Amino acid sequence: MTIRRNLFRNGGNLLAATETIRMSTLSLLLAMVVSAIIMAICRYNPFEAFGAIFTGAFGNSRAISQTLVHATPLMFTGLAFTIAKKASLINIGVEGQMYMGAIATAWIGALDFGLPAVLHLPLAILFGAVAGALLAGLVGFLKVRFGSNEVISTIVLNTIAINITGYLANYPLKADGPTAQTNRILPTAELPRLFQGYQLTAAFFIAIAVCAIIYLVMNKSLLGYEIRCVGYNRLAAQTAGIPIGRVMVVTMLISGAVAGLAGAMLVLGVDKRFIVGFSPGYGYNGISVAALAADNPIGVVFAGLIFGALNAGSMVLNRTTRIPTDFINVIQAFVIIFVSAPLLVKDILPFHKLRRKHDK
Amino acid sequence: MISDFILRMVFPVLISTISMSTPLILAALGGVFSVRGGIMALGLESMMMTGAFCAVLGSYLSGSAWIGVLCGVLGGMLLGLLHGVLCIRYKVNQVISGIGLNLLALATTTLLMQLVWKNRGSSPQVASLEYSGVVSPLFWLTLVLAVVASVVLFRTKFGLRLRMVGEHPQAAASMGIRVHGYKYIGVLVCGALAGLGGTYLSLDHLNMFVRDMTAGRGYIAVVINILARYTPLNTIWCAGIFGFSDAVQIIFQGRGIPPQLVQSLPYVVTLLVLAFGVKHITPPAGVGKSEDD
Repeated sequence: MTIRRNLFRNGGNLLAATETIRMSTLSLLLAMVVSAIIMAICRYNPFEAFGAIFTGAFGNSRAISQTLVHATPLMFTGLAFTIAKKASLINIGVEGQMYMGAIATAWIGALDFGLPAVLHLPLAILFGAVAGALLAGLVGFLKVRFGSNEVISTIVLNTIAINITGYLANYPLKADGPTAQTNRILPTAELPRLFQGYQLTAAFFIAIAVCAIIYLVMNKSLLGYEIRCVGYNRLAAQTAGIPIGRVMVVTMLISGAVAGLAGAMLVLGVDKRFIVGFSPGYGYNGISVAALAADNPIGVVFAGLIFGALNAGSMVLNRTTRIPTDFINVIQAFVIIFVSAPLLVKDILPFHKLRRKHDK
Repeated sequence: MISDFILRMVFPVLISTISMSTPLILAALGGVFSVRGGIMALGLESMMMTGAFCAVLGSYLSGSAWIGVLCGVLGGMLLGLLHGVLCIRYKVNQVISGIGLNLLALATTTLLMQLVWKNRGSSPQVASLEYSGVVSPLFWLTLVLAVVASVVLFRTKFGLRLRMVGEHPQAAASMGIRVHGYKYIGVLVCGALAGLGGTYLSLDHLNMFVRDMTAGRGYIAVVINILARYTPLNTIWCAGIFGFSDAVQIIFQGRGIPPQLVQSLPYVVTLLVLAFGVKHITPPAGVGKSEDD
């Protein structure tokens, strides 16, 4: 099983691909069933709940638009986590990198250079990506140069980034008024809405494009090959002459840039400014997305859509029923646990036991 | 003049430092047992949060704060056990398991609050620990626990075996040590101590549970573990640094000094230590691995 999975990670093996998709689907279903059982125990009607979520996510065109809007940041953060994971790096700092990206974008977006939108908008996006990349690059540098564990340094840097952006939005960049937020970005930096009256912007399609680009880079380029080698066996990669230090730093830079894009797109497309505490944990939920996507950039698109739908649906759940929306978060947490514990899933699902014996 | 200064500034900061660092010391002590047994303690946040919640629930249902403390410890142990089962039996990546449990604990406690108290933000006030004097008896208990932990880890057969399991599980197994048993004990002790830390937050610091009560303290405890080089006694002063910065930040609030910058300071210190001191800080060699790889 592990070998098959690793093969898939390293190149595309159809058999392993179907196996991975099957395991992800089973884990997702299992997470939903467990949540439904918990709902039933709490004397809520799970069918009513999932019905409301489905209506809220796909019921009409506005619901679908909301699903796509909610999926966008999750796709970016899930992709950021996935990229680092390819090199066996665990980037828990997506949240902090996203904050840095958001503040940089909000700063550039609100500055009046007299630029037209075709220049101002890309410039704002670029600054967001660079800010995220720099923070993540620091993590990579610390790891390569000093051997600091990236898990710890990202945890530390998350707090530092959230505090620094909080300081910036409270003091130097603060907009007039009681709330801690920056000035509204100029119209030239705004991501235009695609349809009148819907929140959907081009950010969603940029997210898909970035996922596709990362997929190509990972699977069809020399850099991607090196990243996967470093992730698969660091020692062997070094023996083969791959500069593992440089590859790890570059991986973190790319991962951070994508995390920064998550913040940039939220600022330019949804919030129109940096608001302190704007993220309900997109960085951490990205880990659920990456888990469900089985570390595949194309899988991230679908996993992001699934969680986007759950989140959009939870809004309706909140409005139309008395069922707590936190069930959505319970589902997400269970997804991480089940996807990362294939042995557990096989223990729970009886028909898998036969296969397991057969495998041996 | 000087006595006035001590009374108005030093004393409150000291008290505040003690009350802020107590839960951090407890959780980090738990982390030491977990890491020494070879299990990364990234799930500390979930154990603290569950501990804090169960403590309030126990106190709410029974009316007795001490039963609440017991429930808090048991709640922490439950999450410790869950982390252990995932990491030991099902060989889940220890970082992912920890994060998954942290998200699960946050979601579940918020959910349960609505089910039990019909309120998403906070629980009603419950019976909390009462004592005379300004310093909580739990703080003194914490200091005693740190000393006990140090003795257990470095002066007993159990401690030696636990460290051996964390360092080199195959070697430990070849000597007939029950590797899994020791690892489970490690995570259970970890859960109990972190649960007690959470209990301190909800039944001593406050007398209720609020959503996301631990607010990242479990992650700070992980960082404290590194700073303290996984030793119980160093944990006390390392946690003290973080508690102190929290205390100072509260004092500075509304005096023109940005609290965000004060709050960042211990993290910047940690980052510098990570960069320049990390060569001297290595976790046990077996951390993050399951013994058959």
